[in-house]
Amino acid sequence: MIRVFGYLAWRSTRNRLARQLRHLRSPRYAAALLLGLAYLWFMVVAQRPASSATNLADARWLELVGALALLGAVAWGWIFGVERRVLAFSPAEVTFLFSGPVSRRGLIQFKLLHSQLLILFNALLWTLILSRERFGASPWLRVVSIWVLLTTLSFHRLGASFVRTSLAEHGRLGARHRIVSLGVLGVVLIALTWSIADALPRIVEARADSPFSFLAAVGEAASQPLPTALTYPFRLMVRPLTAHTLADWLDALWPALILMMLHYIWVVRSDSAFEEAAAQVSLRRARALSENPRRLASVLPASTTPPLFRLAPSGWPASAILWKNLVAVTRKRRVRNAALALAMAGAVVTVLSFEPHGTLAGIAGWLLVFWGASLIVLGPQWVRNDLRGDLPKLDLLRSYPLAGWSVVLAEVAASTLLLTAIQLSLLVIGYLAFLGNDSMYPGLEARTLALAAAFLFLPGINLLGMLIQNGAALLYPGWVRLGSGRAGGVEALGQNFLMMVAFIALLVGVLALPVAISGGAFLLLRRGIDGWAALPAATLAFLVMAYEAALLVGWLGRVFERTDPASAGIGG
Amino acid sequence: MIEVHGLQKLYGDFPAVQGLSFQVAPGEVLGLVGPNGAGKTTTIRSIAGIIIPSHGRIRIAGHDLATDPVAAKAALAFIPDEPHLFEYLTVEEHLRFIARLYSVGDVSAKIPVLLDELDLSDKRHALPGELSRGMKQKLAIACGLLHEPRALLLDEPLTGLDPVGIRRMKATIMRRAAAGAAIILSSHLLHLVEEICTRLLIMQRGKVVAFGTIAEIVASRPDLGTRRLEDVFLALIGQEEASER
Repeated sequence: MIRVFGYLAWRSTRNRLARQLRHLRSPRYAAALLLGLAYLWFMVVAQRPASSATNLADARWLELVGALALLGAVAWGWIFGVERRVLAFSPAEVTFLFSGPVSRRGLIQFKLLHSQLLILFNALLWTLILSRERFGASPWLRVVSIWVLLTTLSFHRLGASFVRTSLAEHGRLGARHRIVSLGVLGVVLIALTWSIADALPRIVEARADSPFSFLAAVGEAASQPLPTALTYPFRLMVRPLTAHTLADWLDALWPALILMMLHYIWVVRSDSAFEEAAAQVSLRRARALSENPRRLASVLPASTTPPLFRLAPSGWPASAILWKNLVAVTRKRRVRNAALALAMAGAVVTVLSFEPHGTLAGIAGWLLVFWGASLIVLGPQWVRNDLRGDLPKLDLLRSYPLAGWSVVLAEVAASTLLLTAIQLSLLVIGYLAFLGNDSMYPGLEARTLALAAAFLFLPGINLLGMLIQNGAALLYPGWVRLGSGRAGGVEALGQNFLMMVAFIALLVGVLALPVAISGGAFLLLRRGIDGWAALPAATLAFLVMAYEAALLVGWLGRVFERTDPASAGIGG
Repeated sequence: MIEVHGLQKLYGDFPAVQGLSFQVAPGEVLGLVGPNGAGKTTTIRSIAGIIIPSHGRIRIAGHDLATDPVAAKAALAFIPDEPHLFEYLTVEEHLRFIARLYSVGDVSAKIPVLLDELDLSDKRHALPGELSRGMKQKLAIACGLLHEPRALLLDEPLTGLDPVGIRRMKATIMRRAAAGAAIILSSHLLHLVEEICTRLLIMQRGKVVAFGTIAEIVASRPDLGTRRLEDVFLALIGQEEASER
């Protein structure tokens, strides 16, 4: 059976790669490849390596920072969950493998091994990206270290999502099957809360002194017994990356490998338990229904929620696409619950901000502002209810009586609106978190003006960001992942990182003009109206961005009209 | 009215459709038949404005598809063999979405009638994921008919429909033709084509093999001594292959 799986994986990958390469016959794709290679060369070869290897103290810091970053990534997976996309079977795999003489565990192992191709590719990418950083023993050993790290992280996130799914779908029955995982999680949570509560006052105090004191306080807090124990598995995962000699590397590798194997066993066993739990719940549900058929409505999921607003039959025709994309978001996510949670968070942080020290509200405020600002870069890759989601239905889009520019505008408007709403909500709550803080610099007036300016310029920035992302999908449909989900998870971390850097470069390019014009206007007007100059400057920035966006929409609209679904390899 | 002049579509060097010219008048139902890979779907997708032709001109209701695509597409409807639906819109919301796209007035009155005609009234609040294959096809058909198109393009419209659905669909096509729509129907089901098409265009390897009424096409092969379209169709395809050898 392994040979059959190997044949399927190898031939599929080879044929997919051949198909991707065939796109190079188009000058557009060839130019993109040349640009990509030049970009990699610039990052890898042209940049001088750091002058000296890191010393032992640096290695310890790297290990600590890496371990904390992994802890954050793992915590994110537990809190927000991840789709079991590694185990997402294609329709063909379902048809041929599920009905074939293959055990369920064999199928899972096949998919896990299949995901290794992507992880290996990304391990190579990361080795290239990090090649000018002189930590670790050698690039070849680094590939192996990164592969072990990414694989372990991928297995962990998968296992975490099994536990979450099991609890969500099967309640107490699922919990019974997850008793060991939940026990470990509980102990970790208690230890984590204890450690943070213990270390927070000293870290906050040190933050007020200097950045160095702050780092020293973080380092000291991390070296206490409980945090050391808590971060130990993560340190084990990072340690091979920071080893200097082959002997050190070998010493660091085997614990990391054992950790990886333990995760593998956890995932494979978890899924079997998940299947059993699912079967038991199905049986119980069937029994309940046979006793009382009227309960059918209560056990089936609610199919639809009413849309936020009804679509009128008259008006700008392309707005139907905007409406459709917004309806999809409200059906996929619990928008009302999220809005309620945000409103409650706003009320809580406002109250907390009037506390004597307001430390908690301050930390929450900075986190929210940082989160909102980081969405300028991350948001356009994360929110995808636009052309990227609809391009697989290009046949349908092209049959509509709409000009290309109106399709592009309506598509990107939906994701821009959603992203801007999320960002502004975060910034407003962040603003409220500092509301009672009289001693803060900048003062309340400046903060209020900055928030008002954000309302003016963020829609423009987001629109340009979305146009870049949608433009990439429209120009390179053969290379950009289409559909509602992007290539995600730790498996695709390397390629997503490279895409993000390229995106940032393009975004900086299109923002240069509005920033220069509005910055100049701000400096000129500030002499007369002080900080209030932020508002006309932000308005000017918005107008320049709107002009740029109009040019981009017109151009992408023409590209849309010229895109042949058959030649581009998309659509029906 | 659908007018096609010198349509050609090349994929690289491969000609999927070559020099195709025909017209479909209001009230007429043109059957597009041919073996797999004959170029039927390419032809129908070119007329729908989905594929960009390499050469030739297409006019829908007097509007040139290349120079005035919005007006041309507003007059037509394309119903593909695989229904493409939006997974997060209900049946009724699909129709409201289409109504806005095509600026259909009085949609609240039209939707119940159409849903009733296609036996979808009970499913008006269901998402596509809750529909069977046949019901999805009916919804795609309903979306195509809502704006009362003057040109209707159907690619294997009966795929997935049950016998009742097939009967209703045939009646719907006839009714639309009687109301003055120009219809092109691509299908492998020769008995369907025989039953509802007023003319036939047989294609093979991107070229026209025969074009005319069914009686004319059957009469063109007296040597076969048959009046069955299926025999004539197979002979025409075989003849074409023989002549190319």
